[in-house]
Amino acid sequence: MKALNLLLLLLAALAIPGLINRTRARLAGRKGIRFLQHLYDVRLLLRKGAVYSTTTSALFRLAPSFYLGAALTALLFIPVGDLPPVLSFDGDLVAFAYTLALGRVALVLAALDTGSPFEGMGASREALYGALAEPALLLILATLALVTGFTSFGWIFSLAPELRFTVVLLLAAYVLVKLVFTESGRVPVDDPRTHLELTMIHEVMCLDYCGTDLAYIKIAGWLKTAALSMLAADAAVAAWGLRWWIAAPAAVLLTGLSVGIVESTQARNKLVRNTTFILTVAVLAALVFFTGYLLQLNLVIR
Amino acid sequence: MLFYLYSLIAFAAVVALIFAVPLRAKAWVSLALTAVGALAASTEAVRVLACGVRSRLWLFEGMPFDGETASMDPLSALFALVISIGSVAAVLYSQGYLRHYLDSKSPAHVSLHYTSLVTMCYAMLGVVLCDGGYSFLFFWELMTIASFLLILFDAERREVRRAALSYLIMMHIGFVLLLIGFVRVDVATGSATFGALGECLAAHPEQQLPLFVLFLLGFGMKAGLFPMHVWLPEAHPAAPSHISALMSGVMIKTGVYGILRVMQQLADLPTLHTAGLILLGAGIVTGLWGVMLAASQNDIKRLLAYSSIENVGVILIGLGIAALGMAEGFRIMALCGLAGALLHTVNHSLFKSLLFFGAGNVLSKTHTTSLDALGGLAKHMPVTALLFLTGTAAICALPPLNGFVSELLIYLGMLDGIAAGQQPLAAMAGLVALALIGGIVVLAFTKLFGTVFLGSPRTHEVAEASEVDGVRIAAMALPLAGILAVGLFPQGAVAVVTRAAEVLLPDAAATAEGALPPTFTMLCRTVWILVAVIACLILLRARLLRGRTVAEGPTWGCGFTAPNIRMQYTGESYSEGLQSIARPLTHDSGEGSPVSKGEIFPAAHRFDIRHRDRIGRLFSAWWVEALRMINGRVMRLRTGKINHYVLFALAFLTLVFLLSILNLL
Repeated sequence: MKALNLLLLLLAALAIPGLINRTRARLAGRKGIRFLQHLYDVRLLLRKGAVYSTTTSALFRLAPSFYLGAALTALLFIPVGDLPPVLSFDGDLVAFAYTLALGRVALVLAALDTGSPFEGMGASREALYGALAEPALLLILATLALVTGFTSFGWIFSLAPELRFTVVLLLAAYVLVKLVFTESGRVPVDDPRTHLELTMIHEVMCLDYCGTDLAYIKIAGWLKTAALSMLAADAAVAAWGLRWWIAAPAAVLLTGLSVGIVESTQARNKLVRNTTFILTVAVLAALVFFTGYLLQLNLVIR
Repeated sequence: MLFYLYSLIAFAAVVALIFAVPLRAKAWVSLALTAVGALAASTEAVRVLACGVRSRLWLFEGMPFDGETASMDPLSALFALVISIGSVAAVLYSQGYLRHYLDSKSPAHVSLHYTSLVTMCYAMLGVVLCDGGYSFLFFWELMTIASFLLILFDAERREVRRAALSYLIMMHIGFVLLLIGFVRVDVATGSATFGALGECLAAHPEQQLPLFVLFLLGFGMKAGLFPMHVWLPEAHPAAPSHISALMSGVMIKTGVYGILRVMQQLADLPTLHTAGLILLGAGIVTGLWGVMLAASQNDIKRLLAYSSIENVGVILIGLGIAALGMAEGFRIMALCGLAGALLHTVNHSLFKSLLFFGAGNVLSKTHTTSLDALGGLAKHMPVTALLFLTGTAAICALPPLNGFVSELLIYLGMLDGIAAGQQPLAAMAGLVALALIGGIVVLAFTKLFGTVFLGSPRTHEVAEASEVDGVRIAAMALPLAGILAVGLFPQGAVAVVTRAAEVLLPDAAATAEGALPPTFTMLCRTVWILVAVIACLILLRARLLRGRTVAEGPTWGCGFTAPNIRMQYTGESYSEGLQSIARPLTHDSGEGSPVSKGEIFPAAHRFDIRHRDRIGRLFSAWWVEALRMINGRVMRLRTGKINHYVLFALAFLTLVFLLSILNLL
């Protein structure tokens, strides 16, 4: 079961970027690239050599391994619906958030290692937005703990069919999708397709990477997106008491379609407005928590 | 009485020994003297922690501490361990760090420094071993005076004298608060120990809260509780680096120890709930204030000092959660909060010592601690950089290092509270604060490490720096070993702090059974998986790159063909985004002005900005002026003429006489 869980997560990680591209192409009236084009791109990168900046130290060369390693480990905590995750213990919610933070720190330091003003700019933004998104993520996870009475992903979602907090879970899923936008550098927070370095966040941090290292960073990005999307899907699926065979495709559809649609129809935020955007998400998360708390009080009184 | 005599003789012998030995040997002699005490204390501490017993050490006979005892229970054993490790590392580090000062300072100066250092280490041990009362206060004061002398090492510099003086004054305000508290207890029960405090609190319910707040303020002054933290960011940059490490890593923890002892006496009383809320609130404010200011600083030591304040905040959040859990009778929440706070105390002493030692290495090789003058040191000081990076990752609470274990415990306490519906709102406030603190710490420390060690050197002095000597590296390896041990084998560390937590929660072991060991066994597995995955990926990358062209070139300048070092992102620009949020907390002062938006062809600009603490200004604001004015008025009475003084004496006697006639005295 654990192997199936991991397999589904990896499949979702591969499918999401494809679906995003396909959605965007269709909405623009294009046919679009191959569904698995991103895989071919990464295969190409893995076959290349590398060029390193003379300014950088060993940290720059090792950082992508830390980034990908952290993303892979974080993935092990995530259940697909009511399937058991590979690693599960009380408080793994926190371990998940901090493992992702490890990856972020590795990439931020690598960006600073190049000494480039542009990459420093990206690192600064990533660190700030990451810091502000952290409370939102933990609040949503705490809400899940509040309504279920458990503190590990595995237990929270294994209960899915018996949960009574449909509204709270749906709202939690909504906030988690917003966090997918923030954490994986998508419109409206960041635009992965922009061509102007001054406005980039995530992409500008990896400007000096190529070959294997860039491939690692790209794969880690898919995994991170998949982990958060799966959480959003789990919450949404749990709201209706559905099971894992719904959760896995739901994760792909939820993120693939929403990111694709938002990127086709909305403009990216002005950079100064990003802070407000993320803080709004955090406040939304707090509201969801209070809603859950009030509903629970109501249940207790009755 | 003989006890005091022997103590005095021993102290005199230590002083004589340090003053008598040759200049180069003073460090080693001090190290030996400290190591003896540290070894004795830690052997006893290990025994106490292993058996969970309380061992009586000695009984003071005769005035002034008649009848007071010193003993070691698991809680003091834990702190004694922290003090022993921190002290030995600091004295060892001083051997390398002070070597360059030996020629410029007089031998007596150096001897005084080492005497104070040894005294300080023993005084801290005395603080955690005495069961309260006046002997406790004696060691507390001894610790303050010794650390005051230690800060004064560079007394030629004006800002050092200023910082030391403000430290001394603030510590004495705290001391007076503690004295009032202990005297109150003595009056009520006839004894001034912590045990008597418990009796006094139980007998006088209406005094529980005032006494708790009094002790919290007194101990909080040492711990750096908001708003009494202002001495920390002044004293640490002024003191030599090993002293900063000792004070920040170890000494401020005695304040936490005091708060724990007071909490222990409150354990079964109804005020505990309010006390828990106060602790939690104080922790949240202290933590957020500390971390916001830390991220704004542009001096290594000042940044580290603010981060100490932030960590005290985290510890207090843990204690607040523990107190709330105890008040609700929800044992697992109480245990997780308490164990997390205790483990974070241990952890912070390890990584903060390491980081201050690293800052000392940078300072001694480049002669500056200003972030924006450094850069690119990782190439010139690789070992320091690696050690500093480990400290950075540990303080950011990243797995697989120790900071993560303690923060996870505190989070677990809060999540357990939320999941079980016990105090969910307070727990949520703590959770949000801790998450935000965690996020901003990452920003502050990537700024610190990135600006100092990565990129290109910003000045040529920095480019010529070289690695420090082996003694200092050895001193840094000591905390490093602790960081790795706690991080990679969390179950052991959690078992030890659970034992220490039993002092406050008698059934801690039973509560932990079945809850904490499985969690932390899994966590241990997780961190090893993480390490293994990363190692595999590094190997895979090396394999993939084998036989391929790996070239080197300049950093990609995004099409700009003449990039230079001054275009590098500075620490100031790195934290600019946060400063737009943190502006209300700081008072900015600076010279020059930045390039304004209207300048199309900017002329040369020189711009220097400092982000000072608003609270610090509060302490140097109106009332200092008022005091100075009152002082000026009073000074008018000092005329220097004997006849005036005789008149004053006569007036005083008349006053006393009149008052006694009117029965007012």
